[in-house]
Amino acid sequence: MKETGIITRRDFLRGTAGAALTAAFGSGISADAHAEQRAKVVLSRSAEVLTEGGKVNGEIIQSMLDEAVNTLLGEREPVKSWGKLFKSSDIVGIKSNVWWNMPTPRELEGAIRKRLLDVGVKEKNIDIDDRGVLKKPVFLNSTALVNVRPIRTHHWSGVGGCLKNHIMFVPNPAAYHEEACSDLGKIWTYPIIKGKTRLNILSALQPQFYGRGAHFFDRRYVWPYKGLIVGTDPVAVDAIGARLLHLKRIVHFGEDRPLDVPPVHISVADKKYRLGVSDLSRIQLIKLGWMEEVLI
Amino acid sequence: MKLEFSLPSEAKGWKWDGKGKKYNSRTLFDYINGAAELYLAYRFQNLAVRRFEKPGQPPIVVEVYEMASAEDAYGVFSFERQDEDAGMGQGSEFGGGLLRFWKGKYFVTIYAEGESPEVESAIISLGRELARSIRVSGSAPKVVSYLPDEKAGLIEKSVRYLRNHILLNQRFYISNQNILKLSGETEAALAQYLRGKQKPHLLLIRYLSEKKAEEALQSFKKVYMPEAKEKGFLQTEDRKWTMAKRKKEFILIIFGAADLGDADELIRAAEVRIKEKGR
Repeated sequence: MKETGIITRRDFLRGTAGAALTAAFGSGISADAHAEQRAKVVLSRSAEVLTEGGKVNGEIIQSMLDEAVNTLLGEREPVKSWGKLFKSSDIVGIKSNVWWNMPTPRELEGAIRKRLLDVGVKEKNIDIDDRGVLKKPVFLNSTALVNVRPIRTHHWSGVGGCLKNHIMFVPNPAAYHEEACSDLGKIWTYPIIKGKTRLNILSALQPQFYGRGAHFFDRRYVWPYKGLIVGTDPVAVDAIGARLLHLKRIVHFGEDRPLDVPPVHISVADKKYRLGVSDLSRIQLIKLGWMEEVLI
Repeated sequence: MKLEFSLPSEAKGWKWDGKGKKYNSRTLFDYINGAAELYLAYRFQNLAVRRFEKPGQPPIVVEVYEMASAEDAYGVFSFERQDEDAGMGQGSEFGGGLLRFWKGKYFVTIYAEGESPEVESAIISLGRELARSIRVSGSAPKVVSYLPDEKAGLIEKSVRYLRNHILLNQRFYISNQNILKLSGETEAALAQYLRGKQKPHLLLIRYLSEKKAEEALQSFKKVYMPEAKEKGFLQTEDRKWTMAKRKKEFILIIFGAADLGDADELIRAAEVRIKEKGR
């Protein structure tokens, strides 16, 4: 009998990492209630969003984002859909990502900002930042957050997605690198961000599907997927993102080449911290736009 | 950082911008937040960084990491090795615009912050000059020499020298807990072997004593392969074989073998190497 709290490679081989994680970290709500939980994620793609040089077309990214958020919330007009998530009185931090070779595109940040202004959020109550969030008044006093970053493989967490993106809300990010960053979900329980993240957006315009080290960018493993993955559930958004990178590795290498680090933190965020749904069978993925080589 | 090498000031028209940055173990996070732990695990001492510029071309960044020993420099190099040999230092690779090599207690990376047809040859030129200027060589960790060689199917680029279980998990995930009892007193080598259509992993760990090795083996068996009991082998859920065995103060573990015979053959080959190379 395996000791409680221990996860091994074999748990992943038998596909029961989720169950093992539940056993390891405990269950917050009943199994039945959790079984009913489902998530909706929207993938929006456009063949024209990138120029040949890889620059982002601002108008197209705006329409991709609008389509995704409208579909997610069942509305036709961006102002109505964004109005379901944000009030004009909100103080909104847009948690972005500045990683040197794959930052969140400025055009995408701009598209988010525009819709927040459209629903009446005051300009002074909107800020965009990554590493400076603990020093910025808007983030410190925020009532709502938008979480946006590119999806890529990550040295410590397997996958760098929305869950990982909030690591800059703690003063000691390196403290969360152990055990494949399994406890990233804990950060989402801290008062500075708890319950505030209304929208999670993974930029899959040019994802990195393989790589080594946190420091180096390897252009061989980046491809123009030209998509956005959008949802209110950060776990489901990351689960879809991680699956996309996995499928791309199979296509590229011709074999199922796993990540050096399994993205345990996604399952833990579901099973231990109840932040959302990691089980792909319980995620409704709605695909919009360009379908060539959609993979997922 | 007492320089035991000379950093070039020019290559193929790229000129040093005249500034030099230095970091120690306390300030390394300022430079590479997110990756510093890797270097610290391999007993990082100091880092010197220089930037080279040429009008109309992407800048080139040279990083020279001084580690505590040649074994540590080898370890950092091996940890992320994946590309073709670039023929410099005591081990090198170049791919995706990134040059990496080790020589003596130094680990070096050179890369450009962009692409151009000319920049790759400038990177290689800088690397060759820097490698030549490092006068003192060192030895790779002895534990790596116990790995069976190419005759057994060794995939050279897959060889890793590992100092702790977090690093091991980053290259081959085994468990969220340190069930193999890796510590500052242990050394581990990990490699893949091409055996027919399969690429099993061999993990070889050296402990301070036979007693400590036996304790670690029992810990591993209890958690990872409880059904195997004292046999020391079993077929896992992917229908491949795992085998674990102690030889003196070493533990040898095969993961992902096509069949039991193949796992046993690799274990025996490692035992022969341990005997041949001497402890």
